[in-house]
Amino acid sequence: MAHETVSRPLPPTIPRPQTRPWTLALLVLGLAVIYAYGWKVTQIDIGQLMTNAHLIRPLVRDLIRPDVLTWVPRTQAASAPLSYAVEGAPATPPPATGPRLQLSASVAQPGQPLQIRGEGFAANRPGQLIWTDQSGSSARGTEFRTDAQGSFTLTLPVPQMIGTHHRVTAEVTLEGRQLRPSVAARLVFGRLVETVFLALMGTTLAVVFAVPVSFLAARNLMARSPVGTAVYYVVRTVLNIARSIEPLIMATVFAVWVGIGPFAGVLALALHSVASLGKLYSEQIESIDPGPIEAITATGASALQVIRYAVVPQIVPPFIAFTIYRWDINVRMSTVIGMVGGGGVGFLLLQFINLLQWQQAATAVWGITIVVAAMDYVSAVVRERVV
Amino acid sequence: MKGAAVRVEHLTKVFPDGTRALDDVSFQVNPGDFMVVIGLSGSGKSTLMRCINRLIEPTAGKIFVDDVEVTALRPDELRALRRQIGMIFQQFNLVKRSSVLTNVLSGRLGYLPPTWALTNYFPRELKQRAMENLERVGIPEKAFTRADQLSGGQQQRVGIARALMQEPRLILADEPVASLDPATSHSVLKYIEELNKKDGITVLCALHFLSLARRYGTRLIALKAGRVVFTGYPHDIDEVRFREIYGEEAVEVEIA
Repeated sequence: MAHETVSRPLPPTIPRPQTRPWTLALLVLGLAVIYAYGWKVTQIDIGQLMTNAHLIRPLVRDLIRPDVLTWVPRTQAASAPLSYAVEGAPATPPPATGPRLQLSASVAQPGQPLQIRGEGFAANRPGQLIWTDQSGSSARGTEFRTDAQGSFTLTLPVPQMIGTHHRVTAEVTLEGRQLRPSVAARLVFGRLVETVFLALMGTTLAVVFAVPVSFLAARNLMARSPVGTAVYYVVRTVLNIARSIEPLIMATVFAVWVGIGPFAGVLALALHSVASLGKLYSEQIESIDPGPIEAITATGASALQVIRYAVVPQIVPPFIAFTIYRWDINVRMSTVIGMVGGGGVGFLLLQFINLLQWQQAATAVWGITIVVAAMDYVSAVVRERVV
Repeated sequence: MKGAAVRVEHLTKVFPDGTRALDDVSFQVNPGDFMVVIGLSGSGKSTLMRCINRLIEPTAGKIFVDDVEVTALRPDELRALRRQIGMIFQQFNLVKRSSVLTNVLSGRLGYLPPTWALTNYFPRELKQRAMENLERVGIPEKAFTRADQLSGGQQQRVGIARALMQEPRLILADEPVASLDPATSHSVLKYIEELNKKDGITVLCALHFLSLARRYGTRLIALKAGRVVFTGYPHDIDEVRFREIYGEEAVEVEIA
């Protein structure tokens, strides 16, 4: 302010009280006792790091060669339907070229003879029949060898299978081999997808509840009347308590309630996220700048217009940023939540470790690392854009 | 379009904590006046401004804009009146995360159906007019920039363009240049002066610097502790009056 030049005296400096030597000695002694007990109670034993190093060696060694790809023999296959009953028997004509399979009858009873003729396969290669029943489970059967024309003919009784509609597949092994994702890699991939969606569902569920709750937990909105103030304190307290419970513990509880599986994990993550998002959102609402609200109101705008043009632009971008950040955290959380029965990749990792399948465990660890790092990066980029 | 006349009669505002921000304030602004309000911080200038469009509800007294008794209006009538009163703020009060164009357009909201807000719809001719108003304050190229990317002077010019969208008959400017440097202050005040001189809009403007008050004001009132201590012309403020308004220890500082 240009018109007033007032010099205020500086506040007197309060002299720091002298620390007495014996107080300091007592303090040091106290700390020594605390840390000595801490060392003992947590059973710190540096020597074990050296003497037991051989125990960790397979894990570390296999970490750099995870079970991701396997060599499998190249194969070619053809299949044909086989039914026990005429009713609903599918009639798919076999392809004219390439490997094809023809049955003497597409409807046959168990025990009846069935002639199976394969054509168009590679010549002089070993093969095997595969019977797939109605439930989709398959069993390997008779082995055969193709002739110089790439054909084979087998006559055998129809086996007993569950259901009525089945498939016969002939698989011929070719020369050479090819790289395919390993069983572990496919399992891990499936579980990682489940993990990301587990986090997504948990976060989404949390947002639905956290948005209304956050308005109840915003002091600037609620602390205008005694009732509002009471609601504010109750909501804040509940949020604080809910936030202090680890999602892992919640997942254990929910696994008892709704059974082991991803749903328990979704509920655990949702509950914890409601608490933390509710707090973050409400703090955003509390820090809203009243200036634009005043300015838009002064133009003669209605309440709805004021909310749309003065409030929403101030809270929605940070809400989105917090939500993505939370999803990021939840992806990380849901990788371990499986260990207590909450679904996701964690359970798989635990199984691999318990079976001492270190290479497969390494696959899971790498998968988790890649997904978490990718989520971290994406969330950082999106937050940068939005806010 | 003619500027509005303002008549304030025995206006008093007591805040819930007991602060008497305005105490029996009466004065009159003629159509087309550039009325400057001076006084120390806390003397009631901002409260006075906000009472006129009832952003703050007066405790007692009457306010007339032309012959409309502002203090007696129902909420919908009040909104209709606010459309005609542009307001410019010390802190600009732009929505920082929105574009400059959206900020300017928001000045027109009082004329639009509220439901349009749900889809963020503004007619094409309004966008055109918003661009014209941005051109008028010299920053058409900033239309699609986020408001918080602009300098203080530019932000205040957006504030002026927003007020212009209302086609106001009265502009309330609450210390519009107190957050700006001297050169920018002049450029912003010149835009406000132009609205006053060219468009005939009545201006009620709180200022801190007497030199600016003398340069731009056609009339002046001074507030001290919520009371009117001077009404007249800016050039009538001499050394003695200055000390009455700002206190014995004040020294006048010139702004170039």
